[in-house]
Amino acid sequence: MPAVLRTRTIGWALLVLVLIFFPYFHTWWGFSWFLQHLESTTGINLTVFEMTSLAVWVVILTGLNLLTGYSGQISLGHGALVAVGAYIAAILLDRTATPVAVAVLAGGVGAGAVGFAIGFPSLRLTGPYLAIATLALIVSMPQLLKHDDLIDIARFTGGASGIDLPTAHAPGSVEGLMDDRQWLYYSTMLPAVIMTVLAWNITRSRIGRAFIALRDSEIGAQQMGVNIAFYKTLAFGLSALYAGVGGGLFVYTQDFASPESFSTFQSITFLVSIVIGGLASILGSVLAAAFFTFQTGVIAQLADYLPAVDRLRWAIYGATLIVVMILLPAGAAGLVQRLGRLRPSELLAVWQAGLRSPISALRAHPIFERLSGGRGDDGRGGGTGTGA
Amino acid sequence: MEEFLQQVVTGISIGSIYAIVALAIVLIYRSTAVVNFAQGEMAMFTTFISWSFLLRMDFWPALILTSLVAFALGGALEMIVMRPVEKASHLNSVVVTLGLLAIFNSVALWRYGPLPRPFEKPEVFTGSPLDVGTITISRLNIGILAIAFIIMVALFLLFNYTKLGLAMRATAQNPTASRLVGINTSRMLALGWALSATVGAIAGMLTAANQSLSIDMMLAILLFAFAGAVLGGLDSPGGAIVGGLAVGVIQALAGTYISSQVDIIAAFFVIVAVLMVRPTGLFGRRVMRRV
Repeated sequence: MPAVLRTRTIGWALLVLVLIFFPYFHTWWGFSWFLQHLESTTGINLTVFEMTSLAVWVVILTGLNLLTGYSGQISLGHGALVAVGAYIAAILLDRTATPVAVAVLAGGVGAGAVGFAIGFPSLRLTGPYLAIATLALIVSMPQLLKHDDLIDIARFTGGASGIDLPTAHAPGSVEGLMDDRQWLYYSTMLPAVIMTVLAWNITRSRIGRAFIALRDSEIGAQQMGVNIAFYKTLAFGLSALYAGVGGGLFVYTQDFASPESFSTFQSITFLVSIVIGGLASILGSVLAAAFFTFQTGVIAQLADYLPAVDRLRWAIYGATLIVVMILLPAGAAGLVQRLGRLRPSELLAVWQAGLRSPISALRAHPIFERLSGGRGDDGRGGGTGTGA
Repeated sequence: MEEFLQQVVTGISIGSIYAIVALAIVLIYRSTAVVNFAQGEMAMFTTFISWSFLLRMDFWPALILTSLVAFALGGALEMIVMRPVEKASHLNSVVVTLGLLAIFNSVALWRYGPLPRPFEKPEVFTGSPLDVGTITISRLNIGILAIAFIIMVALFLLFNYTKLGLAMRATAQNPTASRLVGINTSRMLALGWALSATVGAIAGMLTAANQSLSIDMMLAILLFAFAGAVLGGLDSPGGAIVGGLAVGVIQALAGTYISSQVDIIAAFFVIVAVLMVRPTGLFGRRVMRRV
């Protein structure tokens, strides 16, 4: 079996093609029919704009996964770091004539610095204590942004009403080639892809291995010569850099930043998303972003199918979380990875078996045993070294 | 000075609710090493159940009945949804508790509707507020504090002076070793959840008596209760009380003396500051682990 024909390779090639041409061919006849069908049946609304937001969440969640998935430090307040990046970028774009790329980078660097500073206290805190300390950040964030009593922060942040930016336009040089939305798509997707590839490389470098060693056993890592203090703060700084860049891109695409844009609920959902997507896996972060972007649409669609239980929507959401955690402890990425290792013919066999009689046939199928073979591991599953 | 004392008393009354919820959080953490985000919503849900009991009986029998229901509910939840994710990473358990949060909130909305309901106070607590010098304290708040204290003492005795408590602590710290010495760890975990749900149910009924019964009543409280539990140390029942009260007092004092805009910031600032000095909270013990 030549490498070209592996499901994994084919999958990647398809993904790259789709990402490059998406803003153009989503209007093509067959494809637009598929997208409309998808929207009306599942509530997943694959528009250019939604894909642009997806790119923003990919950046943020990849950063969070570096911190929580790889180096094992829980951040419940990642939205606060996103907010720092978003506000820096928004203030620069609003008050000065800074180019967008510079403003977004400045947001990233600013948030990275804050993250690095938070990293120092985190050296002493572990597990739930760290989680609550980071939660403190996001819970205080709205009050801090609106504050105008002791220090007039609201003068810079626009207080409760936030900062409203003019809509982003495509520059004149691409006139005729793409409209504003397509321009936004490319100018967000490009940094997102770069940062994802960068993260992929980091996790396979000395730094990534140090993070994993740190997560699995701090004392063990120390014995192996890993500088705990350095790598723990580095994980925070790096993750905050991602959050800041994501925040900058968020402001650029949404033209808007307000204290309500960064809620505690959102930060908790970040964490839920990466666990559902797959901890310690770059693929998991991407799937997490897809989950984060499309969950509201899917939940809204549920209400259409089951109008009688409209108020039970969130119960269905919660039940889904629980079922996913029980069936796929390594998250969606774990499943995709195991499927990706199969040859296309085997994949077809799984698919057909699944079609014949959904669950019982799948259970009886020997391939299912290979799929569920990883159930017993530590729950971070295939992620530890081989996450794609 | 008078105003200061009055604010401290106000803070203590807010904090006494945080303290009981913090106790429930500590209880579950100590016996299963999981931080339960559904704690508040479980309490809210059982309080709605107690509301139906209250239509037919007095406060105290309703409290006992609700506690029994909560005990069964907590144990059942552990056995049905927590057990399958026991062996996976702790974050998986956290996500499951967040899923439970969504379920309880949504089912309560569907079953009981969004409007707040008045909740009957027990007769002992209904009288006119007590005056101590120039400060007024409501009877209910004294009652809540007293109940928090009783629960704390009971938990302290359970964990430190009974074989059962020892087994529960052992299970949380090292499940494998506990199983090897003959502890039925599954039963201990279920018991931890059951007890925690019971304490939560009591907290829920007292919260409802203090404010009114609504599906959102525990959301903000849970957050500050977490803060209180962490401040006191997640494995210390006494710490939960001190932490919960401290969070309430800081909130009240900062709101009055610094600026009404900083009450939340101040509360969390103090927590982070305390954690910097004592990373496992005021009364928490550092767990030594052999590698």
